[in-house]
Parts: sequence; C-alpha cells; structure tokens
Amino acid sequence: MTTNDQGAHTMELALETGALGKRYGRAWALRDCSLHLPAGRVAALVGPNGAGKTTLLHLAVGLLRPDAGQVRVFGRDPRDDTSVLAEIGFVAQDTPLYRDFTAVDLIRMGGKLNRRWDAPLARDRLASLGIPPDRPVGRLSGGQRAQVALALALAKRPRLLLLDEPIASLDPLARREFMQALMGAVAESGTTVLLSSHLLADLERACDYLIVLQTARVQLVGAVDDLLAQHRTLVGPRSTDTGTPRGVVSVVRARHTDRQSTLLVRRDDDAVIDPAWIEHDVTLEDLVLAYLAEADTRATRTAWEVTA
Amino acid sequence: MIWLTWRQHRKQALFTLIALAVVAAVMVPTGLAMHHRYERSGLAACLADLGDAQMIRQSEAAVHCQALSHQFQQQYSDLAFVAILFVILPVFVGLFFGAPLVAREVEQGTHRLVWTQSVSRRRWALTKFGLVGGVTVVLAVLYAVGVSWWFGPLVTASSGRMGYLSFDVQGVAPVGYTLFAVALGVFAGTLWRKVLPAMGAALVGFAAVRLTVETLARPRYMSPKTLTFSPQSVLRPNPATGDWVYGQGVRDAAGHLVASGAQIGPCAPPGCGGVAAGSYNWQLYQPGSRFWEFQAIETGIFLALTVLLVALAIRRLRDIA
Repeated sequence: MTTNDQGAHTMELALETGALGKRYGRAWALRDCSLHLPAGRVAALVGPNGAGKTTLLHLAVGLLRPDAGQVRVFGRDPRDDTSVLAEIGFVAQDTPLYRDFTAVDLIRMGGKLNRRWDAPLARDRLASLGIPPDRPVGRLSGGQRAQVALALALAKRPRLLLLDEPIASLDPLARREFMQALMGAVAESGTTVLLSSHLLADLERACDYLIVLQTARVQLVGAVDDLLAQHRTLVGPRSTDTGTPRGVVSVVRARHTDRQSTLLVRRDDDAVIDPAWIEHDVTLEDLVLAYLAEADTRATRTAWEVTA
Repeated sequence: MIWLTWRQHRKQALFTLIALAVVAAVMVPTGLAMHHRYERSGLAACLADLGDAQMIRQSEAAVHCQALSHQFQQQYSDLAFVAILFVILPVFVGLFFGAPLVAREVEQGTHRLVWTQSVSRRRWALTKFGLVGGVTVVLAVLYAVGVSWWFGPLVTASSGRMGYLSFDVQGVAPVGYTLFAVALGVFAGTLWRKVLPAMGAALVGFAAVRLTVETLARPRYMSPKTLTFSPQSVLRPNPATGDWVYGQGVRDAAGHLVASGAQIGPCAPPGCGGVAAGSYNWQLYQPGSRFWEFQAIETGIFLALTVLLVALAIRRLRDIA
C-alpha cells in the first residue's frame, strides 16, 4: 500500500466514484470507473476525445444519472441535491452562456439562482480582465467568454471546481491567461479542481493529480509525484521476452528497435531493478502517452477480436 | 428564477405585444363597423324576434330576416377568411413560446449552465412552464374574448357558433388549444432538442390532433337529435337557433331517405305534387343550445392533453444532460 492510498482514508474526498458506468444505447461511455480525488488537489483529467471525460464530469455535477455504480461529491450524491450543487462550480465544454445576456446580467442571474453568491468577486475579476460589463457576451471573444464563465463558477465559492475542456477552443495567449486566472483563484481559496483536456501540455505545470481516461475506462490515477516515483523508463539490449524484469511490477509499454528495447514500467518500491537495464526517470508526458498508447492497442485488438 | 425567465423572454414578450397591437388595429375598426352594420340594418332586431323556438311559422318577417342575413354575409364574406387566421394563431404561440423553451437551452448548451446552479431542474421547469403557461392563458383569454366579440355578428347571421370555423375561435376552446400547443412545443423540444425540428414536430402534431378531435371526436360528444316535420306544415326550423346540422333530407313513409340534402314544402293543403303520401322532412343535428357543453368537453380534452404533455416533458428533462 502506498503512502497516497493511506492518506486517502483520512483525507476528505472531494470526488469519489465506485464502479461508475454510463451507457448510451449499447455503448459504454464510461465503465467501471473507480477513483478518489482528495480535497485540495488540482487534478488533470486527460484522455483523447471520446474517452469519457465529459461523461465523468457530467456525472459528477449531477447532469447525468449513472447506469452503474455511484458517484459522491463530498460524500453526497450530486443528483437532484441542490445542497451538493451549491458546492460545485462547473464550466461546461465550449463555456455556454446566454449569448444575449451581458456579463452584468449573468452575475445577477447567478445571484438569483444561488444562495451563496459572491457577486463582488465576479465583478472584480471581470473588471481586472477588462471585460465590458454591458455588452452581450455573445459578442465577446472566446477567451473573454471563458473568463466570464470561470468568474461565474468561482462566484459560487465552490469547494469543487469542474472544468470541461475550458481552454480547448482558445488561442495560446488566451489559454495562458485563463490558466493563470484559474490557478491564482484556486490558490487563494484552496478549492479542489478537476479540469479535463485532451492536451496534457496545457495542464502539466498546473496540476498535482492525474486521471487518465481512455476508451471509457480509467487507465491511471494518482498524485503526480507518486506516479512519477512509481514509474521508470528502462533501456537495455533488445529483448522481446514477455516476462517482466526483476524489480518491476508491470511493463506498461514496450518498444523495440533492432538493437535495444525501451520499457516503461511500474517499479516495485521495495526491490532493486535488474542492473542489466539502464534506469531513467519518466516525464509526465511519457507516462500518459504510454498508458494511452497501450490502452489504444488493447482496444484495437478487442475490436478486431484478436487476443494479445 | 422569475427574473431569469423575464430576462430570457422579454424580447418574445415585446414581439407578442406588437403582434397583439397589430391584430387589435385590424380587429377593432372592422369589428365596430360590423357591429354597427348589424344593428343598423335591422338584422340584430329581426334575429331577436325569431326567438329560440325550434320551429317557427314561415312568415314575411322571417323571409326578410333571412334576406338580411344573406346580405350581411355577402358584405363581410372576406372577413370570414380572417377567422382562418384566428384558427391557426394558437399554434404560433405553441411554436414560438413552447418549442424553444427547452430546445433552445439544449441547442446552445446553456442547460448545463442553468441546471448546475443551486436550483433543481424540477423547480427550473415548474417556474418556467408556470410563467409561460400563465402568460399563455392571459393571451388566450384576451384572444377568445376579442374574437368572440368580433366574430359574433357574422356567426349569428350565418350558420351559428356550433359550425366548424366559428366553434374553434370562440368560447373557452381557444384557451385549451393554445395551452396544448405550448405544451406540445415544450415536449417536442425535450425530444428533438433543437428549435427548428421541435417547431416542425409541434406544428405537425398540433394539426394532427386538432383535425382528429374536430372531425372524429367532436360530432360524437353528445348524441345528435332528430327533427321531423311534414311538408304541409307551415312551421319550419328556426334559422336563429344556431344548430349544427349534420344532415337533412326527405324520407318516405317507410323511413327511407328519398332525397338527401333537400327539404320540401311548405305546400298548400292538397299536398305537394309528385311526393308520395306520408313523406316527411328529416334533419339530424346538434342543438345550438349545446354550445357550452361542447366547449367544455373540447376544452377538457385539450387541457388533459396539456397536463399529460407537461408531465412527460418534466420526465424527459431528467434524462437530458
């Protein structure tokens, strides 16, 4: 048992899912999803398009009803419970807003629809970003609209902030500004954040927790530091032997050239790795790509009905 | 929620007011002119003189009154077409008030904004449906009262308010139609989730239900009455009762229909030449006095459908994400 797992028992959980599943027709958009997100973390939810990220977020905010398992936010079911909704700030994909409303209208709307509402916070944020208060938000730039949506989510003073691909449609400058604004805001408040992206690079610097989704399943979940410590890249002479090297729990991904083999492995904490292999630290990007590629291969094999 | 509903729909409210003003600008002057003409020509007085007896003596006055009626109808026959516009007005309310209510939110993704604040989906739905429904009722009552007034003289001068076009735009039935149209629009919006397909579906659905009820159900609300009278009789059916006549004809002594759509007489005492003895005039009809019973049944049907559709729409909302 790792230190992280022990911590999870004493630490408050912002989000917890158990065998969670959601089906559209016969296809599972999310399946057997069990994960814990401790409070206070900034978590990246990473996976390619269609991996189930949006489905997971919608389940967490009570927009969707699970077809299997359960989801808990601060220990409670978010479905049809407005007291849980009050704890969650949610920014949906493409940051939907009433396009004919001005930013002032939207802030006023938030005040009408929430018991806890920090209108000055939203106003100050938008003022400091230079967003015009009296122009319909449909006429603002994509970056400005995203900032308005973020300000609305933050004005709820949420304990859990869920963001679904908030920066996917923004240009690089607006992306950086958005991430800066987000990180500045949550650093002050200690809010737990879960934000999804199909691009890890956008989130790598900001996040300390990682959830990798692929083909409707959780492939990897944990604190970034723990994950980096648990994995190694091993380089050694070519060996297509399917057995795992000594000191290794599992091989996540193996690549072979004519001369050498490169393995991304999960190491055994208490054992020394076979010195025939040269050990390297992994980067977060290597790790995510290895898990995604492996899951992809498995899915393709299943689709072609070929066993590994 | 109330503020949000107002903020979202204030443009629609403005357009509705403009449309109402335009309709009123057409209806008030033509209605006044029609009422004026109705009184001045003596038609109102002579129709009142005919009373509400089922059968009346065929008199000079009665013939004169019928001539006045025809004249009046001829003069305003163009306006009768305006009544067709009134028949389709409720469906417009359904299309423009009902269909976008859920469909536009889902189409633009804003349901994910509004349903993730601290207000339950059910409360959101009940507030919105309630407010839009309330405004619809007010509009529909205004419409029904206005059209009943406007159309009154023409209807009384012609076949009466039980007839197809006139029944549909008077009394309380238009309130039922309008609420039904809105509920159908809302429900279609929860199925198609895009404004234009929802509008199209609501339009088709509304036309189908209205036509079905009108042609198949309405004639059967109450069993029709039969009226028979001898060709020799000087008493004829009173044109002022506003009866809804399903059919009329001449039957022979054995009861077989020998002439459809015709009536004979009154003939002088020796009898009508060429007509077998014992023949009589026959008419199958709903009495005009049953107008409010029919209105109540028709409105009840559409209100029940409205409640059903709203309940289904709220059920469907739970599965939208």
